[in-house]
Amino acid sequence: MSRNSPSAEGGPRARARRIMTALRRIAGMPDYCAYVAHLRDQHPGCQVPTEREYYETYLQGRYNGGFHRCC
Amino acid sequence: MATLIWILVAAVGSAGWGMLALHRGETVNAAWLVLAAVCTYLIGYRFYSRFIAARVVALDDGRITPAHRLANGRDFVPTSRWVLFGHHFAAIAGAGPLVGPVLAAQFGFLPGTIWIVVGVVLAGAVQDFVILAGSVRRDGKSLGQMAKEEVGPFTGILAMIAILAIMVILLAVLALVIVKALAESPWGVFTLLCTIPIALAMGWWMRAVRPVHTLEATAGGIVLTLLALVAGRWVAASPTLAPVFTMSATTISWGLIGYGFLASVLPVWMLLAPRDYLSTFIKIGTIFALACGILLTLPVLKLPAVTPFINGTGPVFAGSLFPFCFITIACGAISGFHALVASGTTPKMLDRESDARVIGYGAMLMESFVAVMAMCAAGILDPGVYFAMNAPLALLGGNATGAVHAVQHWGFVLAPGQMETLARSVGETTLLARTGGAPTLAVGMAQILGGVFGRPMMALWYHFAIMFEALFILTTIDAGTRVGRFMIQELGGHLWKPLGHTSSYPSTVITSALIAAAWGWFLLQGVNDPLGGINSLWPLFGISNQLLSAVALSVGTTLIMSSGRARFAWVTLVPLGWVLAVTSAASWQKVFSADPHLGFLSHAAQTTAAVAAGTIEAARGARLNLNDHVDAALCAFFLAITWAVVLSSARVWLRSVRTPAMQPIPNAEGIA
Repeated sequence: MSRNSPSAEGGPRARARRIMTALRRIAGMPDYCAYVAHLRDQHPGCQVPTEREYYETYLQGRYNGGFHRCC
Repeated sequence: MATLIWILVAAVGSAGWGMLALHRGETVNAAWLVLAAVCTYLIGYRFYSRFIAARVVALDDGRITPAHRLANGRDFVPTSRWVLFGHHFAAIAGAGPLVGPVLAAQFGFLPGTIWIVVGVVLAGAVQDFVILAGSVRRDGKSLGQMAKEEVGPFTGILAMIAILAIMVILLAVLALVIVKALAESPWGVFTLLCTIPIALAMGWWMRAVRPVHTLEATAGGIVLTLLALVAGRWVAASPTLAPVFTMSATTISWGLIGYGFLASVLPVWMLLAPRDYLSTFIKIGTIFALACGILLTLPVLKLPAVTPFINGTGPVFAGSLFPFCFITIACGAISGFHALVASGTTPKMLDRESDARVIGYGAMLMESFVAVMAMCAAGILDPGVYFAMNAPLALLGGNATGAVHAVQHWGFVLAPGQMETLARSVGETTLLARTGGAPTLAVGMAQILGGVFGRPMMALWYHFAIMFEALFILTTIDAGTRVGRFMIQELGGHLWKPLGHTSSYPSTVITSALIAAAWGWFLLQGVNDPLGGINSLWPLFGISNQLLSAVALSVGTTLIMSSGRARFAWVTLVPLGWVLAVTSAASWQKVFSADPHLGFLSHAAQTTAAVAAGTIEAARGARLNLNDHVDAALCAFFLAITWAVVLSSARVWLRSVRTPAMQPIPNAEGIA
C-alpha cells in the first residue's frame, strides 16, 4: 500500500493522486492510503484497520467535540 | 527593484482609497474598492505579518511541529502549506463575512470597507496568527485549554461558558438568516430540502458501498444538488407543488430546530460528514466564481460612500456608526470564532512553523476579501432597492406602495413597481423586508454573474446564491448543535456525572434537546419580533463574537508576555483595547440606551406603556417584555464574563512583567 502514498515522482497517475489527496485534505476527509503508509513506516507490525474501521474512527475523532467550522 | 515594486503597490493602494473617499456625489467603480483592499493586504502581509513572524512569535523552522512529533496519520498529519491554507480558509469562511457587510452597508460602503480592510490587517489576522502560533507550540491545544493553563482554571471555565453562550446566539441568528431568505419561497425551500436526502445518500454510499471514497460521493452530491436547484424552478411554477413547499417563517424555524436536534443525535457518517464535504466544495467554488464575476464585470457602486444613517437613525439596525459598524461587521475584520479553528485542527497539520504566517495571517486576509466582495454585491444595488430589501416590513409600511414612500422619506428613490419586477426576475413573489443579508447578496450576485453569463439566468443565479448560503449555514447549524451538545455534556458532567458520558444515549438526547431548545428559543423570538429579529439578534451576535476575540487576544497577549517578549505585547494589546472599547460601548447602549429602538430596557418600558394604553394586547406585550429582558441580561452577562477574563489575564501579565526571571512556563516551550 505504501506505493500509494503521495510521492514526488511524476506521471499523470501520480499527479492525479496528489490532486485527490490535496482535495481530501482541504475538505477534512479521511485519507486511508496515507494512514496505512504511516502505520507501515512508523509502527511496523501493528495491525492495519480495514477501510471502514478507519473511516469510522476518523469521523469520531473529527466531529465529536472540537471546532472545525466557523460562522 | 523590490523596493520599487512595494512603492508602486503603496501608490496604487493610495490611489484606490483616494478614489473611494473623494468621489462624492457620483458613482464610483467597484474596481477601486478591490484595488484599495488588495494593495493594503499585500503591504500588511509583506511588512506587518513578517514583523510578527520574526519578532513577536519568532517562528523557527528548527522546531519540530506537532504534525511531525505526534504524527498519527489521522489528525496529526504534516500537510503542505497551500493545501492547509485551503483547509483553514474553508473552515473559517462561513456566512458571517457575507451577511455583516451587507447589513453595515446602511452606513454607505466606505465605513464598512475601511473597517474590514484596516481591521483585518491590524486586528483580525493578528489574532488568528498569534493563536495559531501559540497552539502549534503547545501540541495543538485549544483556546479553552490554553486559557486554563496559561491564565488559570477559573478563566478556563469562564471561557468555556462564554463560548457556549456565543454558540447559542450564533446558531439562532444564522438560522434566522435562512428563515428570512426561505419564507414563502417554494424554490428555495425545495432545493434546500433536497440537500438532506442527497446528504443521506452520500453518507450511505461512503459507509456501506465504497468506504472512504469520499471524493466520488461528494462529486455525485454536487451534481444532484445542482439538479435540485434547476428542478426548483419547475416546482415553484407548478400549481400543485408550489403550495406544498411554500412555508411560513414559523414552520421553517421549527423545521430547522428539529434538524439541528437530529443532526446532533444521529451518527456523524449519516448526515454531518456528507453535508460538510458538500458545502466545503460548493463554498470554495462559489467564492471563486464571485471573485471572477466582480473582476470581469467591474460593476459600478450605486450606494453612496456614506449615508445620513451614520447618526443612528437607519432602518436596517439601530445604533450609530460608532460602535455599531464595528459590531455589525465582525467576521471579515476580526472574528473570535476563528481563534477556535486556529487552535483546533489547523495547528495539528502544520508542516513547518513558518507556514503559520501564510495560513494564520494570509487566510484571514482572504476572508476579509470575501467580506469586501459582499460589500461590493450590496453596493451595486440601487440604494432604494437595498433599503426596501433590508428594512423591517413595519417600517416599510407593510406593502410595495408603502415601501416606495418609506424609501423616498429616507432620501432614496424606488420606482413604483420596481420591487415587483425585480422579484419576478429572480423567481420570487416578494423581496420586501428580506433582512438578513442573504437575499441582498443573492440579488447582487445574480446581477454580477448574470452580467457575465446573460440576464435570463438571473433567477437561477439568485437561487444558486440562496442555496449556497443556506447550505453552509445549515452545515454550521448541524455541526454547531453537536459541538454545543458536547460542551453541555462536558460542563454538565461537573455537576452531575451521568450527563458527562458522551456516548450515553439518554445524555445525548437530553443535551441535544437542551442546546436546540436554547438557540431555537432565540430564533422564534427573532421570527416573532415586530422589527424582524435581525434588528436585535445580529448586534447580539456581533457583540458576542467580538467579545470572544477579546478573550482570544487576552490569551494571545499572555502567550507573548510569558515568552519574555512583553515589549511586543502591543501587537495584541492595541486590537484588544479597540475590541473592548467597541463591545463595551455597544453592550452598554444595547442594555441602557434611552432610545427604545436601541436599548432593550427602554424598549421593554415602551412595550409596558403600550400595553397600559391598550395598543398592544397583554399576552404579546408580556412576551416582548420577556425577550427584551433576556436579551439585556445576556448582553450584560457577555460583558461581565469578558471583563473577568481580561482582568484575570491582566494579573498574569503584571506578574510576568514584574518577575521576568520566572520565564519558562510549565507544560509548554513558550511561544518564543
